[in-house]
Amino acid sequence: MTLTDTCVHPYPVGDSSIRRMVLEARQLGLGGLVAIDTPPGIIEGIRVTRGVIITATQVREVIAALRKVPKNETLVMVNATDPGFVRAIIGLKTVHVLRHVHRAEKYAFDHVAARMAAEQGVAVDFDLRPVIYYRGVPRQKVLQKYMDVLTLHHRYGFPLTLSTNASSILDMRGPREMRALSLLFGMDEDTFSSLFSSVDRLLSPSYPVRVIE
Amino acid sequence: MKPRPPTLREKRRYILVRIAPPACVIEPRDLYLAILEALSSLHGDTTVAQVQMAVVKSNGEFAIVRCTRGKEPLVIGAISTVTAVNGTRVAVRTLALSGTILALQKKMAGMRSSGSGLTGDLHYRNVPYKAYYYSGEKVDLIEKGFKSQELLFLTTGDLEES
Repeated sequence: MTLTDTCVHPYPVGDSSIRRMVLEARQLGLGGLVAIDTPPGIIEGIRVTRGVIITATQVREVIAALRKVPKNETLVMVNATDPGFVRAIIGLKTVHVLRHVHRAEKYAFDHVAARMAAEQGVAVDFDLRPVIYYRGVPRQKVLQKYMDVLTLHHRYGFPLTLSTNASSILDMRGPREMRALSLLFGMDEDTFSSLFSSVDRLLSPSYPVRVIE
Repeated sequence: MKPRPPTLREKRRYILVRIAPPACVIEPRDLYLAILEALSSLHGDTTVAQVQMAVVKSNGEFAIVRCTRGKEPLVIGAISTVTAVNGTRVAVRTLALSGTILALQKKMAGMRSSGSGLTGDLHYRNVPYKAYYYSGEKVDLIEKGFKSQELLFLTTGDLEES
């Protein structure tokens, strides 16, 4: 079982082509990539999943954007903003991941949203880019937010994902480095191991068995 | 000066790192300062004092970083947050960990250097670039120009398609 980077931005948004990112991912020891607006497939033995990021402030804008999203093999991610928006987004069936929790308003992702996320199977993404790039107080605030999300995760058990948000091969990190970075906000070994299959579980969730008569 | 007996010496660990992209030349001192800044910013002065970090060896794109035993995760975390060395955008990849420099040197000798044997000029999407070709179909493009020097990381397959 290998780790999947849940968000990379290949060329033309970033400076590296998807093939080069895949070569780098293989060298780093990653098992898969979620590439934004890139067709899914298996390149050089690495599974590439299409990712879509929806940046909106109104729920109706998100619903409109969701209609345009390809249905199969696509991981849908929405950026968090305020508490009402976050709760409404978690309630939508086709949303897989809530990201940018560190940029959202204070208490945007609270215990109510955490319980809803656990019930709906919506994951919260830990974006490692601010941990890597920020310095001083901004990074302290991000780490504080991530620690809070982890506390809620331990209580409610909603899924988690880990991403580098890389737009270049220089921003990509391997599992060993991701592990070291996730230690900074107190992620334990068991939680880190559970991230290994998180993308597969989000794309094909296991529902309870139904008896059809 | 008489050396300390082995039982009184601090136990050390050595981390083998690779600097990407291989084309950029990084001085060991600059790498040391970049890791020190990252470590200090991430964990503070007290931890930096305990870690006793140093860049003990540098050979092309590889380098060996030393730290005290038990502090390796802190150093690996700090190394992952290094994004530039002396103003040059780089990534420092952690490759291996060992208790001796010799073991890492053997490992380093066994590893293939990405080595940019070939360089050339080309136009990609009507923009002139200097190309560095590496093993495994990797190609780094550096834009030619005074105002901006855009970097592109592609493969030979991408160049053929364009």
